[in-house]
Amino acid sequence: MKSAFALSGLLAAALVASTAVNAQTTLNVATAGDQNMVDYINEYLGPMFEKQNPGVKVRAVGTGAGDAGSQKVFERLDAQAKANAPQWDVDVAVVHQKITGKLVTDKLLANYRSTIETAPLVTNANAKAALGTPVEGYVMPMFNSQTAIAYNPDIVKNPPATYDELVEWVKKNPKQFGYNGIKGGMSGVSFVMGWMYAYGPDAKKLENGPFEADLVKSAGWTDAMGKLKEFNKNVTFTPGNAGTLDMLNRGEIAMGPVWVDMFYSWKTEGRLNPSMKLKLVGPGMPGQPMYYVVPAKAANADLAKKFVALATSPAVQAEGVVKRFNWYPGIDAKHVQANLDAATWQKLFTDVTPEELATKGRSFPVGPYFDAILESYERQGASN
Amino acid sequence: MPSRALGLSLVAPALLTVAIFFIYPLGYSFVSAFSTSSGWSLANLQKAVELYRDDILFTVVIVGLSTALIGLCSIAIGGYLTLGENPRAVAVLKFLYRWPLFIPFIVAGQLMRTFLAKNGMLNNTLVSAGLLTPAETISLLDWRGIVITFVWKQTPFVALLVAGAMASLDRSTIESARNLGASRLRILWEIVVPQVRASLTVGLTLSFVTMMSVLSVPLMINAQSPTTITANMAFRINAYGDYGVANALGVISILLTGGVAWLYLRQASRDKGRAFS
Repeated sequence: MKSAFALSGLLAAALVASTAVNAQTTLNVATAGDQNMVDYINEYLGPMFEKQNPGVKVRAVGTGAGDAGSQKVFERLDAQAKANAPQWDVDVAVVHQKITGKLVTDKLLANYRSTIETAPLVTNANAKAALGTPVEGYVMPMFNSQTAIAYNPDIVKNPPATYDELVEWVKKNPKQFGYNGIKGGMSGVSFVMGWMYAYGPDAKKLENGPFEADLVKSAGWTDAMGKLKEFNKNVTFTPGNAGTLDMLNRGEIAMGPVWVDMFYSWKTEGRLNPSMKLKLVGPGMPGQPMYYVVPAKAANADLAKKFVALATSPAVQAEGVVKRFNWYPGIDAKHVQANLDAATWQKLFTDVTPEELATKGRSFPVGPYFDAILESYERQGASN
Repeated sequence: MPSRALGLSLVAPALLTVAIFFIYPLGYSFVSAFSTSSGWSLANLQKAVELYRDDILFTVVIVGLSTALIGLCSIAIGGYLTLGENPRAVAVLKFLYRWPLFIPFIVAGQLMRTFLAKNGMLNNTLVSAGLLTPAETISLLDWRGIVITFVWKQTPFVALLVAGAMASLDRSTIESARNLGASRLRILWEIVVPQVRASLTVGLTLSFVTMMSVLSVPLMINAQSPTTITANMAFRINAYGDYGVANALGVISILLTGGVAWLYLRQASRDKGRAFS
């Protein structure tokens, strides 16, 4: 009897404790991408939001690097939608371009952009369409990132400025150029997409659509892939995005495609030889934004919108996105520049000038071409 | 409660766990491998073979070679532990050989990634020891890296089983062979190994299956194409969201491991038959 009484007392205490926990709302943020994305929210954005909104706890969950991480976000939302869950356990998600179109067409996202005050600060085309699928209203770009060729100026005095020059250079310097293929991360994928823009049949169509199956079977397409196969014979393959930077740093390769933000971050952290430089080669290489999206049935939709509004405010974009994490801003640059000192702003554009970024910074091909290029690459690899 | 119902209720949680978390997903993967949006078909399997033929072959060769090397290394380790004459060397080996057992594959992959690189620790050591010149160094981060990592990581496991079996052997057979003047190598090969064959096969079969399922090591070490089945399965899902072909690759992989398991079972039952005859 006594023990039953004690037990009920314990239960009551537990109940009180759990209501006390409930008084605090948890905002669940799921983010695809490398560890730096989780760090960004846990160390910078989350604490700031918690301070502004007492009683709210921001919990960031990393879902993994690259499109794989975004795929996991999609699967989580899709499963909850199919189970008819009244409320979903993700309030804000940060996802890549490729999955965003599918998230929108499958009606898994809220059309929230017009309800937040930072919406007019974005005019970039990538806020209207993601790889060819209209997503306007469903997304706010968190940041933009770009790939470029990193090189060691001690070895490469005159870095190639175009894919043509790169091909020539690689012929003269076999195994000195390294990239991570298409299975080891997006910097390699980006290099291959840039290759197709340079040598494929119709770069404009690849980038903007519409998809035509005939183009994939065209002679121009096969030709470009064949050329790439030839090119690959004189290339060193690197294990992953970080693998390219590691090999560059150890002097095992002299050049390779990397993400600009990763390059600058490694430099800042002292993980990369400070003399390394970047070159964005023509006709161009792709870059991509990451998007803030709010799931259609987010449990804390209002808080989620507030969170995105804070994250895309000029002050946060300047301090967090540009200064701390070396990304290009997600909202229009002119709103951000005013919040930064000239030196920080200049640092972001040391090797790749704003003009180069405007002319040679491309977007990834539209979804079906994207997949078709990857599969052709696999097929040509399989045929040797 | 009748004992039969009690027995059932005791085993039910375990059975249910196996059914929900193993049998159901397995069946689901099989179904997904053989179905497309237009119904049942072999299209996924066809595509898997067409695109990843080399990769499948590569996986079998890499894992097979690793298994063979693991067998040799573990026999060598177990043999020295059983037949070694220098007690200090035996003690040191006994202490050292198990360490990789406690290191996860992904950590092993990360270690090897910096160890085996062209300008990594291995080559740097060889160069500073004057054994190589910087121009002669090569990167081992390809299929060789995978084999080295697999062998390094799995040998202790098999060696543990083999050494245990060797230790429990009747030493009189070894002693009598030695009295008759057989060399230690011959004793190992003709007397010890045949007697521990069962343990060796169990260890190697389990290692084969384990290595077939490792994703982290090929992803971290092998940047080249072809690569292992697991890396392609991950790519199929992550890049295309294509579970069909990924599951078809899974089916191929289970057929391969199933084949090895079958060989093992056949061998085991034959050994048993011989023991009774």
